[in-house]
Amino acid sequence: MSSLKLGRRAVLKGLGGASLALPLLEIMVDGTPALAQAARPKRYVVCFGGQSLGGDNDPLHNDYVPNIIGPNYDLKSALAPLADHNNIKNEISVVSGLSIPTASGGPVPPGGRVDFFHISSLSPLLSGVRARTDEAHANGPTSDQVMVGAIAGDTTFSSLVCRIQADWYLSVSAPYGREMISYKTDPRGNPVAIPPTSSPKLAFDALFGNFTPPQSPEEAARRDFQLRSRRSVLDLVRASSARLLPKLGDSDRTRLEQHYDEIRALEVRIAALPPPATSTCQKPPDPGADPPLGGSQGTDSSGDLTYDQNLGYSNEEQRARVFCDLIHMAITCDLTRVVSLQFTMFQSHMNMYQLTGIPFDLHEISHSGLGTLAVSRGIAWHMKHFGYLVSKLRDTPEGDGNLLSNTALVFLHEGGHGRDPSSGARYSSHSTENMACLIAGRAGGLRPGQHVVASGMHPANVLITAMKAAGYSGNSLGEVSGDIPALRS
Amino acid sequence: MQITRAAGLLVAVAVGGCSGRADLSDQGDQTRLSPNSVVGVSGARRLSRTEYDDTLRDLLGDTSSSGFAMLPPDTHDPFDNDYRTQLTSPTLIEALETLATNAAARVLADPAKRSALLPCAPSGPSDAACFRDFIARFGRRVLRRPLGDEEIQSLIGLQSFSIEAHDFFTGVELVIRALLQHPEFVYRIEVGTPVAGSNGGIYRLNNFEMATRLSYFLWGSTPPDWLLDLADTGRLQRSDDVRSAASRLLQDSRARSRVNRFHALWLGYHQLPHPMDLTRALQTETAALITKVVFEDRSDYFDLLRANQTYVNDYLARHYGLPSPGSSAFQWVSYGSTGRKGLLSHGSVLSAGAKFSDTSPTQRGIFVRTRLLCQQVPPPPPNVNVDQPPTSPTSNCKADRYASHSSVGSCAACHQNLDPIGFGLENYDQAGRYRTTDNGLPQCSISGNGRIAEMGAFNGPGGLEDLLLASGQLEQCVVTQVYRFAMGRRESGDDGGLISALTARFRSSNHSFTQLLLDFVSDETFAFRKNE
Repeated sequence: MSSLKLGRRAVLKGLGGASLALPLLEIMVDGTPALAQAARPKRYVVCFGGQSLGGDNDPLHNDYVPNIIGPNYDLKSALAPLADHNNIKNEISVVSGLSIPTASGGPVPPGGRVDFFHISSLSPLLSGVRARTDEAHANGPTSDQVMVGAIAGDTTFSSLVCRIQADWYLSVSAPYGREMISYKTDPRGNPVAIPPTSSPKLAFDALFGNFTPPQSPEEAARRDFQLRSRRSVLDLVRASSARLLPKLGDSDRTRLEQHYDEIRALEVRIAALPPPATSTCQKPPDPGADPPLGGSQGTDSSGDLTYDQNLGYSNEEQRARVFCDLIHMAITCDLTRVVSLQFTMFQSHMNMYQLTGIPFDLHEISHSGLGTLAVSRGIAWHMKHFGYLVSKLRDTPEGDGNLLSNTALVFLHEGGHGRDPSSGARYSSHSTENMACLIAGRAGGLRPGQHVVASGMHPANVLITAMKAAGYSGNSLGEVSGDIPALRS
Repeated sequence: MQITRAAGLLVAVAVGGCSGRADLSDQGDQTRLSPNSVVGVSGARRLSRTEYDDTLRDLLGDTSSSGFAMLPPDTHDPFDNDYRTQLTSPTLIEALETLATNAAARVLADPAKRSALLPCAPSGPSDAACFRDFIARFGRRVLRRPLGDEEIQSLIGLQSFSIEAHDFFTGVELVIRALLQHPEFVYRIEVGTPVAGSNGGIYRLNNFEMATRLSYFLWGSTPPDWLLDLADTGRLQRSDDVRSAASRLLQDSRARSRVNRFHALWLGYHQLPHPMDLTRALQTETAALITKVVFEDRSDYFDLLRANQTYVNDYLARHYGLPSPGSSAFQWVSYGSTGRKGLLSHGSVLSAGAKFSDTSPTQRGIFVRTRLLCQQVPPPPPNVNVDQPPTSPTSNCKADRYASHSSVGSCAACHQNLDPIGFGLENYDQAGRYRTTDNGLPQCSISGNGRIAEMGAFNGPGGLEDLLLASGQLEQCVVTQVYRFAMGRRESGDDGGLISALTARFRSSNHSFTQLLLDFVSDETFAFRKNE
């Protein structure tokens, strides 16, 4: 569920390096007045929803971008849930006027994409590197993994990579790649996908499995036994490398070395001491077994896709809530500082019937003829949970402020609405014109609660703004450079 | 029989004098490799989600299918086992640990399964002999090879937890957890023994690697004890030994499931875009025909495409508009004069290529060319929007709308080879029901006339099947698909010789599918590998 840089500190913590762990402990104690805000760790969160902003053939580009520019912006239907949680929109800025350039028959420009839409926005949107085909992968490291190098430090989980949509939900075609939005760079410099965790239970166990201090000597002894036996098992598993690796050819050795590296990383995560419980850092409730997988979309007696409420849906409502709770607490406890949260997949076929009453999957709503207002109801589902996540960070005190004081979050959408260069359609959901996104948090002087029109800018410029606010010293992501100063105070 | 392989790599062999390809009936010694034989590469293959679950079922009696829900999804192209697409990740490692922990806890919570694991009755938590016997026996089953003394010793170390907990089974549980996370369990790793004098890096599989190759190919699961015993006594060396072991594997119901799984992935009906009860019924129908032809009648494989009866119950008969068998149980029913025939009339297969909430003649054309004829169809150019159905300014009828594909020169070049195939199946909707007009458009009548550019005209699934059978191109494609499924990768130039040789044998065996499988595993090259 994470990409882990082996932190020496984490190992030392596991060995009981109390003095070395001290600065971290200090950070964890909330309300420590002696600690300057600047000493608090900064966090970076990137979220994604697999849908464009408008519906096909609807002249309304979106019901997302506010009429009011600047502070106190109005909430359109797509963003309506941001009125909840005591107007969480005050912690969130809307950035409009964005676009990803397209080839439009010529060569693909830097940071741009080919004309065919799905899923050519993936690479430029998330890594800032152009997509030369409709390839289902990023051509460079994504912003979250760039931030791992900048701010992860010795956290137990150098990043959390999670996905709410539980399955692809379509039996036809091989859509590999659409479920992945996080890419790091391998030693040869090639981008490598990091498959996300889509199991809330697995995420919970990994993050908080051995978390709360034992409540009795008996429990302490039991847990100590469990931990020791677990480590012994993993030691044995990893020790097999000495016998196995020398026998293998180059390709197999590389494969297995990567596997052993990940086992080693798990051992380091286990060895890391859980942070001491504070008034804010507490083990969240066990989410229990994952909701069952919902199966692929169905058809009715006339052969139309039915979006039967039992198909194409695995209770993503509950999954979203659990992931937001886990991410919030992982940040609170400084288990991680970098999060990639994919709500829905590129060209998402998640059934929206139960969530919105619209009998289509998320992607098909755009093509359904129901128009931009229907599309906005799909976006609003994402916003409901994003607003919840931001509110939980706001409502968690840290130092003189709250977690948002040191956090930058971005929510990106798959596309905008406008001209589709491949079909020539004017009002198409297959467009990266008229894109918009959200940026939240107050890290690094970000000034949330406003609507900024960033005409001609690229969504990656918003990422760069958030990255710099969270401690990134660079000024570019892939082929895109520069931040958007208007988003800072 | 002597078949010369594709030129290219010339493999030096330890034994001179044998100039041709060793036929199965020759010496049958798979320790040697004919000089003209070309060996395929193999790499470490992680168990697919389905293989993982089936393996746990066979090792532990665990039918939870827990791996499917927790392991990262497999890529389908169309098979789910291409090892070159497999990625490791923290999610994988965490899932493997959790799955192993849960599986061990489940088996120990069941007294019958628990005692079945042990070859002995432990006298107490510190019964070292019994613990060792368990490790040796269970370890061989999990890792599909005997454990070395050092490996056993290191696992015995876990007995300290038994002693500490005053429970023999505490250590047993930890051993299960350790073995189920062992990379040699999670991956099928082949190393082999270098073939003397081969500078091309040719390795001969050892007996246990052969047992594993056989059982995962023919069962999709771990080798049974009797097969490991054969390996242990060196009785998987000769091709006739391999052939007889494979014959025995094919008698098990797991082989039937595996053959059905191959077809389900190949033809795309492992998942169907229909309600659960229809999906189940369609899958039952198709599996029954495959089992009948391949395992029961043992007739010509292509009787799959000639069958004039099908296996339905009242529910499915109603769905198709066929005469009801008068039972909720499945029965064989004649197609009569409905015009239906064979596998391509099944709703399972006709579901392939649904798009835009309807059949897509283009997708069905691609299906026939790539899946049944093993041809390559280039992807649409990047400036084409394939997410919108084609339109016509003058008509809503599908035939007219798709005409835009052939009216634009650059589109026509490809679509003339695709769409007319699909239009020959248009009388059957995406769930296999017969229709005479477009969905909801009674003014748009469907002719059902189709055409494969290089073969000729046809009408309906039966006509298409006749055309494909007459083309003589099906044999090679079936063998090619079997090869991909068996090896976990697409074929390369090096593999062409074996595929051609197997195709010739398939033809001369009157297309016996089980003979094809046996010929494949007892071909001399099945016992060899090359590093990637």
